[in-house]
Amino acid sequence: MKRALGAALSCLLVLSSCAPNQPADEPRKAISYAVEEPITLHPGRQTIAFAQDMVLFSGLTFAGKDGAITFRNAESVTSTDAVRWTIKLRPRWTFHNGEPVTAKSYVKAWSAVAYGPNAWENSGQLANIAGYDALNPANGKPAATELSGLKIVDDLTFTVTLKSPDGQFPAQLSQAQTGFYPLPEAAYADPAAFAKNPIGNGPFRMTQPYRETEPMTVDRYDGYQGPQPSVDEITFKPYTDMNTAYTDVQAGATDILYVPNSRMGQVKKDFGDRAHVFQGLAISYLGLPLWDKRYQDIRVRQAISLAIDREAVSKAIFDGIWEPATALTPPAQPGTPRGLCGDLCTFDPVRARKLLAEAGGFSGTMEIRFPGGFGRDDLFNAYANQLRQNLGIKDVTAKPTADFPEFFELRTGAKLSGPYFARWGALYASQQNTLRAIYTRTGGCSNCVPDHDPAIAQLIAKADAQVDPQRAIAGYVDVQKAILKRFPAPPMFFEKNVFATSERIASLDEGAGLTLENTTLVR
Amino acid sequence: MLRFTLRRLAELALVFLGVTFAIYAAVFALPGDPIASLGGDRPLAPDVAERIRAVYHLNDPLWSQYLRYLGRLLTGDLGTDFHGRSVAERLATRWPVTIRLALTAWVIQVVVGVGLGLLAGLRKNTWIDRSVLVLTILIASVPVFVLAATAQLVFGVRLALLPIAGISDGWPLSYLLPATTLAVYGLAAVARLTRGSVAETMGSDHVRALWARGLSRRRVIGIHVLRNSSIPVLTFLAVDLGFLLGGAVVTEGIFNLPGVGQLLFQSIRSHEGPTVVGIATALIIVFLLSSALVDLLNSLLDPRIRHD
Repeated sequence: MKRALGAALSCLLVLSSCAPNQPADEPRKAISYAVEEPITLHPGRQTIAFAQDMVLFSGLTFAGKDGAITFRNAESVTSTDAVRWTIKLRPRWTFHNGEPVTAKSYVKAWSAVAYGPNAWENSGQLANIAGYDALNPANGKPAATELSGLKIVDDLTFTVTLKSPDGQFPAQLSQAQTGFYPLPEAAYADPAAFAKNPIGNGPFRMTQPYRETEPMTVDRYDGYQGPQPSVDEITFKPYTDMNTAYTDVQAGATDILYVPNSRMGQVKKDFGDRAHVFQGLAISYLGLPLWDKRYQDIRVRQAISLAIDREAVSKAIFDGIWEPATALTPPAQPGTPRGLCGDLCTFDPVRARKLLAEAGGFSGTMEIRFPGGFGRDDLFNAYANQLRQNLGIKDVTAKPTADFPEFFELRTGAKLSGPYFARWGALYASQQNTLRAIYTRTGGCSNCVPDHDPAIAQLIAKADAQVDPQRAIAGYVDVQKAILKRFPAPPMFFEKNVFATSERIASLDEGAGLTLENTTLVR
Repeated sequence: MLRFTLRRLAELALVFLGVTFAIYAAVFALPGDPIASLGGDRPLAPDVAERIRAVYHLNDPLWSQYLRYLGRLLTGDLGTDFHGRSVAERLATRWPVTIRLALTAWVIQVVVGVGLGLLAGLRKNTWIDRSVLVLTILIASVPVFVLAATAQLVFGVRLALLPIAGISDGWPLSYLLPATTLAVYGLAAVARLTRGSVAETMGSDHVRALWARGLSRRRVIGIHVLRNSSIPVLTFLAVDLGFLLGGAVVTEGIFNLPGVGQLLFQSIRSHEGPTVVGIATALIIVFLLSSALVDLLNSLLDPRIRHD
């Protein structure tokens, strides 16, 4: 009741915002989406509030379903040498409080995100901008407060100088890299308050500040200059257990849900054509302990890859939704060379045993470890069964850790003695993201295989330096070929994004991920 | 009574220090770095993690962290979690949910449990008595998540009668399913205790004397039997209320109720030492209060019980 009253009041106060959206005969199109508790909505800080920030803000560029980049708040992002970039903004864009979105809105925000003492979680996204290191000295307070690589040219134009050439910069500016969002002046006085009640430049605005444990409703912003959304209102409902959210969508109390791994095996049965399978940006590997002598022979690693029937595992655990991986990056990243892994990523137990025998067999137990409480127990038990049966290793166990922190500690301390959980979910649609994260020392995927070969890093840098997208793709494919020759760990699955919807929803729109604002309702 | 109260207070202080330290140390000893995994499976940049670690003094030894925490606690400051949210504020929003859930479950236990127990006690060794026993034990032996998930599917999805998650429908609607699920597990005990006590009182001399004096059935059972057989039941119910208020971790989790139990679960998972200790401290106080209440109730009901 209170909420309805509040909505009615805010309608009265801002008459202009209600009138055009709501012709008398058309009801307000409202949807609800199940989320984790977002903790903070500050785009420089959030690590789990992507869905909310992606409708409250608009990035400079937008990655579509196939990873193709189009311009959103930017009119153009151009460079001739991949080092100096010129970004022109579209005119007449405003924040929800009416403040114009200018070059300064970006430059000031990026400096704040990168400023070390702020310790904002997304600062790493800006690490390749010139001047980042000066804002993040090893000890003490930085002398500078602004990124030296950013220069304002005029109200709607600014230039960015990178530390190293990077042709993928426009892709990095796409929707899920929230560290690159602009911020209004109001964001700086009280960042904590802003984190609860952000003022963005996106198609939706806050109706009231976010409060922990309570559903949060955002409302269509009529001053939005980008593509118009198809819904008027989105409510984000927090759940601690996504299995509960799953049942709640079945009951029709919530409209849309990102289906957790633990329910993927039954979602098609439960939801029929209301289960939507989208391409994902995540890839699962089976990590191998390269620090353990037994795994140092490439033939052992290849044998492990050949001994697992990916298709059968996916069918048994995920109802066939996950796609067996045939390359080192997910297919939603443009130019991913499907099939590049070739025979080595197929199921061939005879060859697997032969390779293992040639390498001198396997001694001792094989203990697979993975983070517990993440809905992946069945998957890792299946891996264990496959390796036991198909490689003839008697003692294969799969054991969860208590949680993520424990797993990270074991993995980064090289205290694992067997295969382990390794996956990377990319934030932008470029092979660069996945390859960099896994195969470079500073990449950041601390659960992945630690195979950081300088030659590979050089190949990645060479591909990065290409401005032309096609030449960049060719470069990343070369990287993958070189890595496959080393075969540090087998790629297992191209993960999928699966959504389940209530009977009210007619269709979902796929971008690089879900484009929530383009959902349509059953009439 | 004064000496009794003072002794209770001294005990309280000792228990308080011991338990807070034990819990702080336990969370401290959990393997892994909570800051490194603040971003889920996409870890933070190392320098960012290092700065956050410095803000929360996570590189200090255990004793220094605990003393700093205790010092702040004595000034009434419960501290913040690793996202800078005030623990006291987070608890304050969650207590009402847990209290509502606990009281609802407790009332169900009292009404249904005592009712069934009375029925069984008055009809000792009949088929009614036996079916009450079998039924309550049968339900209580189903694991809580099975019972909860089944209740959700039947009443929420199939029949679409009740909300299955969250509190947006308010009390009592949102609390009916979780409170009933929670109550089921105390029912067997309450019913058995009541039955035994009632049966025993019914057979006692003074009740026989009451019958002999020609008192009505309603008076004998309603006043004399119930009151005299209530001591063990009340003791159990008071302790049980303490347990219920301690936050039903699993039930709150499955029904998505933002209560204390759910917060405790999340905080342990993310290694939030200050939050865990804050909740534990509050829970200790609840337990101590409820056991003090038991003592008081017992002495009121039975003048033979004295504290001196």
